[in-house]
Amino acid sequence: MDNKSQASGVKKQSQWTLRNIILIALIAIFTGIIFWGAGFLYTALTVALTPFGMAPFANDLLMGLWCMAGPLTGFIIRTFGSAFLGEFLGASVEVFLGGQWGAGAFISGLVQGIASELGFTLTGYKRYDWFGLNASIFTTVVITFAWDMIRNGCDKFSLPLLLGLFVTRYISTFIFAGVLTKMIVKLLDRSKAINL
Amino acid sequence: MNPGMKLLLVMLVALEISFTQSLIVNIILIAVSLLYILTQHISMKALFGIIFWPLFPAVGLFVSQWLYGSAGIHFAWILFTRIYAYVFLGATFTLTSSITDLSLTLEQDFHLPSKFAYGVLAAFNLMPKIAEEVRIIKTSALMRGDALHFWSPKLYFKSILSSIQWSHNLAEAMTSHGFVEDYERTHYKVIRITALDWTLFIVLLAVVQVLLFFIRY
Repeated sequence: MDNKSQASGVKKQSQWTLRNIILIALIAIFTGIIFWGAGFLYTALTVALTPFGMAPFANDLLMGLWCMAGPLTGFIIRTFGSAFLGEFLGASVEVFLGGQWGAGAFISGLVQGIASELGFTLTGYKRYDWFGLNASIFTTVVITFAWDMIRNGCDKFSLPLLLGLFVTRYISTFIFAGVLTKMIVKLLDRSKAINL
Repeated sequence: MNPGMKLLLVMLVALEISFTQSLIVNIILIAVSLLYILTQHISMKALFGIIFWPLFPAVGLFVSQWLYGSAGIHFAWILFTRIYAYVFLGATFTLTSSITDLSLTLEQDFHLPSKFAYGVLAAFNLMPKIAEEVRIIKTSALMRGDALHFWSPKLYFKSILSSIQWSHNLAEAMTSHGFVEDYERTHYKVIRITALDWTLFIVLLAVVQVLLFFIRY
């Protein structure tokens, strides 16, 4: 009996160890810093698109990049809340590096974190495959888009423009948070560096 | 002000101005934040940064709303000032509070488990080293004729390998310094939320509510 309770105890052992928390934070900071290097791209795109009034597209084109930390940490540490923590910390890095969004980045981080976590929640933290990843992408795109409509006043745009923005964001998120994440996880899988 | 309370206040106000539309309140928030920042002896370079960089997204949003939005130029100005309000509100926190104090108060006063407070703090303290590591990964790949960009899976793969190794080292180091997970800790530096913190928090939040309620323009 003693043995049995021990076995179930091991099974239920929380993934939230000190080491895993540090790991999530480190991965979030790494991705945050890599995107920081791509930050000029956002400014350049915005400058290029502003004369046409299409600046919101810069945001949606790069959305996938900013939403990568969530699915990545969610995939590596497979437990409730890891995608949220990774995404939120990734956004916080931008704040401390002096990003152009200020307090807005904290809030975006919260929204993006909840959004990418929700995808894993919907699959019950069981589907760590292409399907689970796509669930996370879907919730990320829908929730962040709804949030940006409020924050950036996109709900005042006409329907075709809104659709255009939505599709752009979906493609961007699919490429970065989807395809790129899958490739990274595949590399990790092959290297057997981590128990996936 | 207690850094945890300050962050909470900043986030609450930023969240509120996302849902309300008042040009004047946005400008008041920017002005008050700027005054506060100026009293804190920050560098001119940092100040220039928070004024200059948000200009791009702010102008971008303004123009697109002006050209294609149905709500007119007044709404475009609200969006323009909203971006600056976010940045200046954020700066009142980031330019004046240390991340160490934040994690100490989150642990001691907001009852965040100590492994989160110290684990995340340990990782954030490595930020300069992480920037260095990204450069090293890119340079050593370049020496093998392999250019890594932010879209290269290899760059992230190598970063994650470093993260795995470093997280292991850091956790071991913390354990060997006497850190025990899920165990009550005593504190060398005690941070409390004082009556003054509470008063400031409540009064400032109340003032914003009153402003948002009465100033609708």
